[in-house]
Amino acid sequence: MQTDTRAPEKGTATTGTRKQPKSGGVLNVFSHGFLALWAIMIIVPLAWVVMTAFKSDDEIFTDPLGLPSQWHWENFTRAWEKAGIGDYFLNTVLVVGGGVALTMLLGSMAAYVLARYEFRLNKFFYLMFVAGMMFPVFLALVPLYFIVDNLGLLGTHFGLILVYTAYSLPFTVFFLAAFFKTLPHGVAEAAMIDGAGHYRLFFQVMMPMARSGLVSVAIFNIIGQWNQFLLPQVLMPGEGNNLLADGIASVAVSQRYDPDFSGLMASMVIAMIPAFVAYVIFQRQIQAGLTAGAIK
Amino acid sequence: MATVTYQGASRIYPGTEKPAVDKLDLEIQDGEFLVLVGPSGCGKSTSLRMLAGLEDVDEGSILIDDKDVSNLPPKARDIAMVFQNYALYPHMTVYENMAFALKLRKTPKSEIDARVKEAAELLQLEDYLKRKPKALSGGQRQRVAMGRAIVRQPQVFLMDEPLSNLDAKLRVQTRSQIASLQKRLGVTTVYVTHDQVEAMTMGHRVAVMLDGLLQQCDTPRALYETPKNVFVAGFMGSPAMNIKTVPLTAEGAKFGDVTIPLTREQVEAAGVGDAKTVTVGIRPEHCKLGEHGIPIEVELVEELGSDAFVYGHAQLGNENGAERFVVRAGSGLLPQLGETVFVQPEVGKEHVFHAETGDRI
Repeated sequence: MQTDTRAPEKGTATTGTRKQPKSGGVLNVFSHGFLALWAIMIIVPLAWVVMTAFKSDDEIFTDPLGLPSQWHWENFTRAWEKAGIGDYFLNTVLVVGGGVALTMLLGSMAAYVLARYEFRLNKFFYLMFVAGMMFPVFLALVPLYFIVDNLGLLGTHFGLILVYTAYSLPFTVFFLAAFFKTLPHGVAEAAMIDGAGHYRLFFQVMMPMARSGLVSVAIFNIIGQWNQFLLPQVLMPGEGNNLLADGIASVAVSQRYDPDFSGLMASMVIAMIPAFVAYVIFQRQIQAGLTAGAIK
Repeated sequence: MATVTYQGASRIYPGTEKPAVDKLDLEIQDGEFLVLVGPSGCGKSTSLRMLAGLEDVDEGSILIDDKDVSNLPPKARDIAMVFQNYALYPHMTVYENMAFALKLRKTPKSEIDARVKEAAELLQLEDYLKRKPKALSGGQRQRVAMGRAIVRQPQVFLMDEPLSNLDAKLRVQTRSQIASLQKRLGVTTVYVTHDQVEAMTMGHRVAVMLDGLLQQCDTPRALYETPKNVFVAGFMGSPAMNIKTVPLTAEGAKFGDVTIPLTREQVEAAGVGDAKTVTVGIRPEHCKLGEHGIPIEVELVEELGSDAFVYGHAQLGNENGAERFVVRAGSGLLPQLGETVFVQPEVGKEHVFHAETGDRI
């Protein structure tokens, strides 16, 4: 009798322990399946653009889904030189470089002060920044145009850099203020006792400690500003000083008269490369930044 | 080298009425090791942070070497501080951590190097100079924090519970290291702790605080032998003193059927304000177990090897009913649980306090 009752108990116990990882496995299969689907949805169009960029215009229509029979690298040189993507690219690098640098400098300083110093209206300023995140840029377009025009900065790189900075500051301040709040107070106090003034404390102690957060926001800003379309479209009127996104748009518009689809695709690939490279290089920091607050 | 003087220094946190530190008057001699001790929230850390310049001095002033530093920023005070969580710079190596303050003061490179190497040797950190703090153990981090203070060669060392994150064994070891280091360097040191054993063993003098008020500041032995009030009496010494409030008679204090004799002056002082009771403190180590005395029902016997402590309840004939009583017993024959033993306090070793004010008589 005893052995009889024991045996099934043992059996259920083992199946029970076996079941647990299995149920987690089901969830894993589901979530991984979803992620795989998502990845396919992102990767397939991207891969198609890259492949099409290497085809000749005829081949695009005869064999739209196949691999290119010949790798037409000249599509890229043609896009870079003839379609003016080279100029657009340099313009964009200049504006995004300036915009991100200024955003990070001002944003980190503002966030640090709002997070670590107590003063009147601290909360007010913080909320003003946060409110800026909710403000749709479309509503600001017309007044923004007149302001930039009045400043005499319409169609200049510097004008666009200022606008980009203002546009990126709310999220930067919001994110970094939360990040600076998580940094230990003791270290700042130690630095003050060691003889650091406010500036040195910020640049030599707090900023290096906030590195992962700064890198994450910088990546977000690089990608966000790199992909800007509407702001340069409005604030950079005239030929020749276009940025990438609206430059490619104008290439697309001219397709109606003088089709060059492979050149268009090559332009898009060129435009995608920097954002892609930034992701690959800083992948680790992006993850670290996103989870940093949770661990501490 | 410097003296430190608190002159009626108070700190009132914004939004509160009760001061965290209330008119603290304290003079610390040149080269002295002063320990601030008290339960959490007593204002000891705040007092230290006021001296460091990390908290405002709302009233009164603080002097370092007769110079009023109350309104100076931390960097102008020439002090070095060791924090409870060490507060090392995580992105700098051990060497850079120690050199940071000197670099800010534009000390020549060769001198920085010499000083850091010297401190590293003193603290046995030579092998770790190139490591970052996260690659160090707790004890090593603690030593880096000490090293960072030492290389400064400051006028005053401030230490805010620097041992509380170490395990028990390392804490005892580091305790003696810090004390001997301080003796060797001869730098005035203010040390904050909540651990009365640390306070007793390390300090030249110990300042006991409660609720923002300084209770008593004296040598460890004086605190132990003549505590100024009931709080100090109960705080210093382990296990804590037996402090009981019992009926007062013309002969002395009545512990049930046993009377502890008091002098006439003591009886008179205890009776001030029509008090019918008196508070008497008896340290566990100043008792003997004998044939007669205060009867105690044994509840717990703590055997420590060299000593044993007997915990029990005694009927003291006051309205509190049975009260807890601790006695040190020799390592000989120990009483059994539930047994009744008799305690004889050593004559002349009792501490007498006024029942209402709590002040020593």
